This record gives sequence, structure tokens and C-alpha cells, in this order.
Amino acid sequence: MSKWYAEKGSQSETVISTRIRLARNIDDFVFPCRLDKEGKAKVNELVKKAVFECCGDKYSYISMKDLSHLQAVSLAERHVISPEFTSCEEGTGLIISDDESVSIMICEEDHIRLQVMKSGLALDEAYKIADETDSALDEKLSYAFDERIGYMTSDPTNLGTAMRASVFLHLPALTACGQINAIANTVSKLGLSIGGAYGSRKKPAGDIYQISNRITLGITEETAVANLKSIVMQLINQERSAAEREIKNPALEDKIYRSLGVLENARMLNADEFMELISYVRFGASAGLLDIPVERINALITDMQPATVAVSNEDADTVAKRDARRAELVRQALAG
Amino acid sequence: MLCQNCGKYEATTHIKQIINGDMAETHLCPDCANHLGYGDMFSGFDFSLSGLLSGFLGDMLPPVSLGPVTRCEKCGCSFDDIARAGKVGCPECYRTFYDRLLPSIQRIHGKISHAGKTGQSAGNREKIETSGEKIAKLRVQMDEAVRVQNFERAAEIRDEIKKLEGENINE
Repeated sequence: MSKWYAEKGSQSETVISTRIRLARNIDDFVFPCRLDKEGKAKVNELVKKAVFECCGDKYSYISMKDLSHLQAVSLAERHVISPEFTSCEEGTGLIISDDESVSIMICEEDHIRLQVMKSGLALDEAYKIADETDSALDEKLSYAFDERIGYMTSDPTNLGTAMRASVFLHLPALTACGQINAIANTVSKLGLSIGGAYGSRKKPAGDIYQISNRITLGITEETAVANLKSIVMQLINQERSAAEREIKNPALEDKIYRSLGVLENARMLNADEFMELISYVRFGASAGLLDIPVERINALITDMQPATVAVSNEDADTVAKRDARRAELVRQALAG
Repeated sequence: MLCQNCGKYEATTHIKQIINGDMAETHLCPDCANHLGYGDMFSGFDFSLSGLLSGFLGDMLPPVSLGPVTRCEKCGCSFDDIARAGKVGCPECYRTFYDRLLPSIQRIHGKISHAGKTGQSAGNREKIETSGEKIAKLRVQMDEAVRVQNFERAAEIRDEIKKLEGENINE
């Protein structure tokens, strides 16, 4: 079955994907950080039963401790699970839909972390699915909820709606003209935060950023989503006008075609070099310079992450073999 | 271990520095650590929200604890445990420590009342309340008990109020 990230979404020149995440806890149990092995096993069973009863057979359950470290990191690279969840401690589980668009982490920081991913900018659609799934689960499980402080979460920064809405953006032009820090300052005043989606916090890889709401108490889900959407639309417009300016620079045009040349011909590609070059190629494609569908580039960015390459190409058991395999896959993808 | 700076309070901040290849260790109480510039939870760490929270809550830790420590009946967490981890142990902790969590919740979110989706379990229990609100409610009930001359019940409520007020003073 094809994965959600291979689909074309709205505003896809700039927006790679959208994610809604809801945190929920079951009232009778202490939070995972203080829950023993037996308690976690019970929570896993309860959530599993609830999901399979209400949402049918399009989901499968994985006990995290059965996964290798690489398999877990690959899930994190695809944003199916959080980086913290890759430690695969006993008592943690994952429920995932066939196309990987809906997933539920069990006993991460909270008992339930339900998340919905969509290609492109699709905050309302993603929230609708998350909300419906959540309401269906609420009928089977007794959530820890208080009318005053909302959904009770292990971390008080999530109290209230316990919803984190995120949009993943490719902002090469704004990065090139040094605007990201100013943007980060502005959005933080509006109750949002922005950071690199890949690579380290200080040096985001591939000019891909994640912007999310920070405030969850005293605000409705709809307002939080609408606020985020309006800021994202402004960022898209800023990126577009910066791109129109930048693209006239012959040095940038040269860099875009050179990057494409390397990606189409390289026989060895490490992940860092790939991310740097694919960002230029994506820039060229979204500015209309190159005739490559951006959703193909998005899928490539996801599939070429280090652990994901390692997991799906088991014969490539050394770094050199993996770099060669990555180069081969990139050549194939760009050739169509 | 006592604070190396003031020698009065228990040291809770432990700093290891390597200067010219030699390791120097310093142990400070919260007040001295703040005063000497080691109180900033963010310096040297990646910014994270749970760091932010334990920073907030840490501000409110007393230098020495007075009297018996209140623990959550369900999970056994003390307020100290919550402040250090930046994480709450269970739903009951919010009820037990609501008074002391409230200022941090307000600082994080700017607001203190939920406005979003309502879970099905809403209304199953009484709403979370500060002890001030609980006491005010009990006073009304006590006056009502006196009015109907149910003095036994009024005395029970009076004891309950005293207990709540006592907890406030201890902490």
C-alpha cells in the first residue's frame, strides 16, 4: 500500500506535510513515567482492544521491544513516532494504519499519543480524523479529563486540549536570506514555535522546518489550528516572494542545476550531502525551474534518511554500500 | 551536604567544572546557585518545554522542607519529585498539588481554564479546585448545617476546613 507522504497535497510547493497529535491518558492508571511493567502491559491491551473494536482492521499493533533499533529510528525519520520513543522500552507499543497516516504511541510520555499525518497543508482534514478517532476511543476508554484543566497530561505544558498541531515547511529562500531567526522570534510571540525537522537544532538539514502551536490551555482546537494556519499561509507568501527574488540570482540557478547534476550522476551519496543537494533541487522544482513533481521529492527525502535506507536495503550492511545504494535510488527516482 | 557558599542550607546544585585540565566541584543551595548565576536552567542545554517547566517549578521549591511532605495518594509523588522531573505522576497529582501547580500552569499557558473539546468523562467527578475554593464551599455547607441545627455535621466540616488550612500553612 502506498504511504501517505507519496500523495500530492495542498500548498505542496512549500508545505511538505501536516501533523496533528493528541495526548490522552486513562483515568485509572498513573502516567507512564511512574507505571510498572504490569500496568503498561494492561494499558497496551486496553488501547489495542479499543482501537481494534472501533476502527476495524486497517490497523496493526507492534510491540516496540520487538523492533530493532534501526527499525525504530526509521519510524522516527518518517515522523511516525517521536525520537524519544526509539528507545523501545518494554511496555511501549505502536498501533499504525496501513498507509502510516494514523499512528498511536502507547505509553510514550502519556498513555496515548494519537497522531494523524497528511501530505501538504491539511490541518482541518487531519484534525477531523484525529478528533473522530479520539471520540471513538473515548467511548471505550475512560480518559483522565477535568473540566477546568482539560485533558490531564504527564507534562503540564500539554494540559487543556493536549493537541500539538505541526506543519512541515521547506523554506530554502527564507533560509538563504537569513530570515529564519527573525521568524522564530516572531512566531514565539504568537504562541508558536519553529525548529529544524531534520538534523540538529542548530543546523537544520535540507531547510525543512517544523512549526507548531505551543499553547494548549484556554484555547479551542479550532482556534489553535486556525492560528497556525494563518501564520503558515503568511510564511508561504513570504517564502514565495523571497524565492522570486532569489531565483533571479544566476549563482542560485547554477547551484540548482549543479545539484541536480550531482544527484543524477553520483555513485556514492551520504545523507548530509543528499539533504543539502535535494533542498536545491526541491527549490528548483517548486519555483518551476525543474520539471520534477515535488511529491516525488518529498517521498525521496523520507525514504533516503539513514536508518530508512538501512532497513529497506538489508544487503547494504556497510556505510559505503548504503551510500552507493542511496545514490542508485536517487538516480532512479529522478529519472522517473 | 551544606552549601559551600553560605554554609546554611542543603546543597542541591552540584557543579563540575574543568579548568586547565583540573576538575573543580562546587555544591550550592538554590539561593546561592541563583545568586551566583547557576540558577538559569537553560544555559548549556537545548531549550525544551519540560526544562522550562522544571525551571518554573524549581523556583518554588523551598530551600529546606518544613514539616511532613505531602504525597499524592495514588502514585506517591511529592511536589519535589514533580518539580525535579518537570512531569506529573498521575491525574490525581493535579488534584493533590493544584494550588502549587497553578502559578506555573498560568505562566506557561497564560490562561487557567480549558476551552477546547470536552471528554466523555467530564462531569463524572468534581472539578479540580484550589484549597481556597474548597474552603469557601465548605464554609457555605457549614453555615447551612448550623442553620438546620445539624451541629454534628457542622463540627465535621469545621475539622475538614482546619485540615485544609493546616496543609496550606505547612507548605
